[in-house]
Amino acid sequence: MKPFQWFYSFVKKYQWRLLGGLMLTTIVAALALLTPYLSGAIVTQVIKEGHYERLGWMVALLIGATILRGLLRASFLMVYESTSQNVLYDMRDYVYRRLLQQDFAFYNKNRTGDLMSRQTGDMDAIRHFLAHTMYVTYENVLLFILALVMIFTVNVKLACCMILVLPISALAAAIQFKVVRPVFQRARERFSSLNSFAQENISGNRVVKAFAKEDYEKEKFDKENEGYMEAELAGARLSSIFIPIFEFVSNLLLVVLMLIGGIMVINGEMDIGKMVTVNGYLYMLSNPLRLAGWLVNDVRRLTASLDKIYATIVQEPEIRRPKHAVVKKHLEGCVEFRDVSYQAEDEDIIHHVSFTAEKGQTIGIIGATGAGKSTIVNLICRFYDVTSGQVLVDGIDVRDLDLYQLRDNIGMAMQDIFLFSDTIEGNIAYGNTQCSFEDVVRVAKIANADEFIRNETPDGYDTIVGERGMGLSGGQKQRISLARALLKNPSIIILDDTTSAVDLETESQIQNELEQVQKDTTVFIISHRISSIQHADKILVLEEGRIIEEGSHKQLMEKNGYYAMVCRHQYGDFNPKKKKKTAKSAGRGGKTDGKK
Amino acid sequence: MARNKYDVDEELHKHFDLNQVKRLSHYIRPYAGKMILSLILRATASAAILLLPIFMQQVIDDYIPMGKLGIPHIVRVSLLSLFLAVYVSIVICIKTKLMFQSGQSIIRDLRADLFDHLQKLPFDYYDSRPHGKIQVRLVNYINNLSDLLSNGIVNTVVDLISLVVIVGYMLYLDWRFTLVCLCGLPILFGVVFLVKKQQRTAWQTASNKQSNLNAYIAESINGIRVTQSFVREEENTGIFNRLSANYRSAWLHAIKYNLILPPSVDFLSVVTTSLVYVIGVQMLRGGSAAMSVGIIVAFTSYISRFWTPITNLGNFYNALLTAIAYLEMIFETIDEPVIVEDREDAVEMPEIQGDVEFRDVCFSYEDGIPVLDHVSLKVEQGQTCAIVGPTGAGKTTIINLISRFYNVNSGGVYVDGINVEAVTIRSLRKQMGVMLQDSFIFSGTIRDNIRYGNLEASDEQVENAARIVCAHSFIEKMEAGYDTYVNERGSRLSVGQRQLISFARALLADPAILILDEATSSIDTETEIALQEGLQQLLKGRTSFIIAHRLSTIQNADVILYVDHGKILERGRHEELLEKKGYYYQLYTAQRQQ
Repeated sequence: MKPFQWFYSFVKKYQWRLLGGLMLTTIVAALALLTPYLSGAIVTQVIKEGHYERLGWMVALLIGATILRGLLRASFLMVYESTSQNVLYDMRDYVYRRLLQQDFAFYNKNRTGDLMSRQTGDMDAIRHFLAHTMYVTYENVLLFILALVMIFTVNVKLACCMILVLPISALAAAIQFKVVRPVFQRARERFSSLNSFAQENISGNRVVKAFAKEDYEKEKFDKENEGYMEAELAGARLSSIFIPIFEFVSNLLLVVLMLIGGIMVINGEMDIGKMVTVNGYLYMLSNPLRLAGWLVNDVRRLTASLDKIYATIVQEPEIRRPKHAVVKKHLEGCVEFRDVSYQAEDEDIIHHVSFTAEKGQTIGIIGATGAGKSTIVNLICRFYDVTSGQVLVDGIDVRDLDLYQLRDNIGMAMQDIFLFSDTIEGNIAYGNTQCSFEDVVRVAKIANADEFIRNETPDGYDTIVGERGMGLSGGQKQRISLARALLKNPSIIILDDTTSAVDLETESQIQNELEQVQKDTTVFIISHRISSIQHADKILVLEEGRIIEEGSHKQLMEKNGYYAMVCRHQYGDFNPKKKKKTAKSAGRGGKTDGKK
Repeated sequence: MARNKYDVDEELHKHFDLNQVKRLSHYIRPYAGKMILSLILRATASAAILLLPIFMQQVIDDYIPMGKLGIPHIVRVSLLSLFLAVYVSIVICIKTKLMFQSGQSIIRDLRADLFDHLQKLPFDYYDSRPHGKIQVRLVNYINNLSDLLSNGIVNTVVDLISLVVIVGYMLYLDWRFTLVCLCGLPILFGVVFLVKKQQRTAWQTASNKQSNLNAYIAESINGIRVTQSFVREEENTGIFNRLSANYRSAWLHAIKYNLILPPSVDFLSVVTTSLVYVIGVQMLRGGSAAMSVGIIVAFTSYISRFWTPITNLGNFYNALLTAIAYLEMIFETIDEPVIVEDREDAVEMPEIQGDVEFRDVCFSYEDGIPVLDHVSLKVEQGQTCAIVGPTGAGKTTIINLISRFYNVNSGGVYVDGINVEAVTIRSLRKQMGVMLQDSFIFSGTIRDNIRYGNLEASDEQVENAARIVCAHSFIEKMEAGYDTYVNERGSRLSVGQRQLISFARALLADPAILILDEATSSIDTETEIALQEGLQQLLKGRTSFIIAHRLSTIQNADVILYVDHGKILERGRHEELLEKKGYYYQLYTAQRQQ
């Protein structure tokens, strides 16, 4: 499917309305011809010839025709406006749904501001086309053809002479159609780029201020701003070449009529009345020609925007709901990795990982920054698909499960916490908006968030948090995100570094609460803190995408590998020699007998 | 502070008045020369185009009746017309360029001013509304002015001039008929006045709905991971469609008002024309000597020329009213008070040695809710100061005041004995390295992201900073090393990696004062130990402030402050505080109990 076909599939739904609109446009165009005719009749018949008795009804007809024309015109404009808004609504819906389907890989490649401009600036070009360009084009083509027919009926030879200048316009239009395309495409790109820059500057305002980089940002913004302006002006420069050509041709028509028509009349090939008639129709021929350049521009702006939107939606998400999914509304929560590898951007992220998690077990995952811990849990949720091997939940490959049912059974608190600019209650209830306020409070209590929400925020649960939870501390955001994950009553809970900014006392309270309520739930905990994972049934130690150690806290301590080393660092009492060293170097050995 | 969210319209506190048109004219003035030139060019082109029908009339009325003798005349005027046509085209070429240039330049200037102002606005401004709503003003709203500015203004002046000329000519033809025509104007003004308020409100609503939709799109894209993991697709689509439908109906409601004016003008035009016919005919029948067929015919042919510019002016008025809905929001943002700004007598901060002192500082974000309550503290050059305490105690506020992200209510913050409010913000912040809780990554290469701390830094310095924070090895492993492109917020990177990169960024700034706000919460222990070692050397001679939950991170600090409820409850070294058996001791033993 081509962009334009795709566009047409939306317009098709409203084709009868549009056709009705075009009918009205035709009537209005005809009425527009009637008015000067009536005025002319009044002047000749009533005023010059003195048929005063006709004045009454002629004036009435004139006013009536004008009112009718005004009403019809307003209605067809509304038809186009509402149709364009309806088409836009449908397209936005389509694009939005598509964006929601796109996988993480897509979002890692596309900038937010860029995607946004698909839904805003580019949509506006479509609106302009449907609400304006389309009927103006139709109106003018109509007038043009009508004028041509009339001139042909008046005098074929004259008409042929006048037509001779038209190829100039046609050629100009064809060239313009070709050359403005890349220019407008560029303008759209610059617009997206400006939008992206603005978006990032606003999101990153704290960093900008912290580094006093306002001037640098301004400089960069000026470049973007200037770049967009230059791109628009490049379009204007082309317009300033083509628009005068169309203007010239439309004026040339008059010269042709003047010269050829005049000579023909003098030579007796045509009578003077006919020349006057043709002169009367001339504006119907020349006005459309004048507008042609602008209309070509509008059409090109439309196609430039359509191309952009289409390029965004045409990418099929890699991760799709399977056609014949295994229907399983409730999952038990057994998770198995069978020799799973995952690659992204030619980089091996996960190598041949295998492990199982039984229902109700708690799995701790620890490992260096960038070792692949988050990727493992993302594979369970099927945010990425494995490169080889299988991820199974309840013995079924996640790729065979219905995507939504799978994710519905998983409660995830992500490392990179995103809160919406909504109330705290709305944020916690994100997974289930139908739940009662008591439910929200219940999970907030488990996440140890209830107290600070009630006591430390201005409006308690009704406090609106800024985008990304601005205004809350890291620990507060983490607890809200934990409550949000718990509210779903999931079979599998994933806590990706969810308590890193929470103090240890609070963390252990949260853990106790969690243990009591989530007995049948499989829990994955990613953490750098031994305290968060030491009670897990199984601990996986990851290094560069491989599981290097696996077992319970006790087993791993006996193994005396990476895990034991981390543990010693955090509770410096296990190896007195080590303790001394770290205390000297970084002052971190202070906590003796930290472990229970 | 009331916060706004995506489905709440923003209230406009300023009301549009003529001052705002004056403000816009301030932006137009630099391009007045270009505009006047294109005005003159357009006027000559219009005059030239008016000559063409006159030539045609001459051909029909004078030259054709002359027979063969007329041919040279016809050829002459044809050539003249051809020449005029060429002239008109050239003029249009120049005019089109000039108009777009000035229109686009005005838009650029306005946008640059808005952006400048946005850079000065405090955190609160950004925290209290969805970012999509700020963005829509900076990008989309300003674009909405482009039509008005590029073509509207010059055309309007031309229309006004031609209106005056035509009215003058009509008065010359017949003053009575002219009065009849002018009678239509008050009616038109009446119509305009009647709908003005609703039309304005309607466009304000439409712009608000556009803003809401934009805000929601932005959040939807930024929060896509949460949405997908919570399977909220259907519900969000519902919300999106509701906002989308609101925008649609607001637009359709507003556009209706714009459709009122043109038919009204048409109607008045035809009614006044008819009146002229009727009155003229009555006078003719009455045998009035003051009326002739010629006058009626001539006059009625000018009536349409009288109403055409009025229709154009009406369209301009519509466009203006639409644009004003956007303009007032733009100006409102430009008028948003800058709370923290350079004092007029501000001087450059000399090279910072690193003594930081709070003298009896009180601070509150909102009146009546004190966040810092008479806080005094002193940290000497080269010392490390750790701040601990429960969430919401005011820890982040203390460090935000050192960088002067806010102004104190009373008391003062002194760096090297100089009040931070007495120096320029830029010179102060440039010498500080702040690592925020939220480590923001810009889209660009990893190298650029680190270099953000110091734009002059060489590649070596960048890599060196990365080495110190132990980020070098993972960066090297990426497909293009330091030149690997990361997206905004660095979604490809783990949070720990992002923290390391923004850590490197802070170090590269080579700051005299280093501020770390929960800087290493997502970094694994092994890396953290290595990082601490590197940092230890780096911290020599620098003053640093550290907020952290892991007490192990801060035990070596020269001063530990225990903060709660906006007060420093305890201060001292680790051992001293333990002996004191107070709050810090409790916190410490609680962690040990794990």
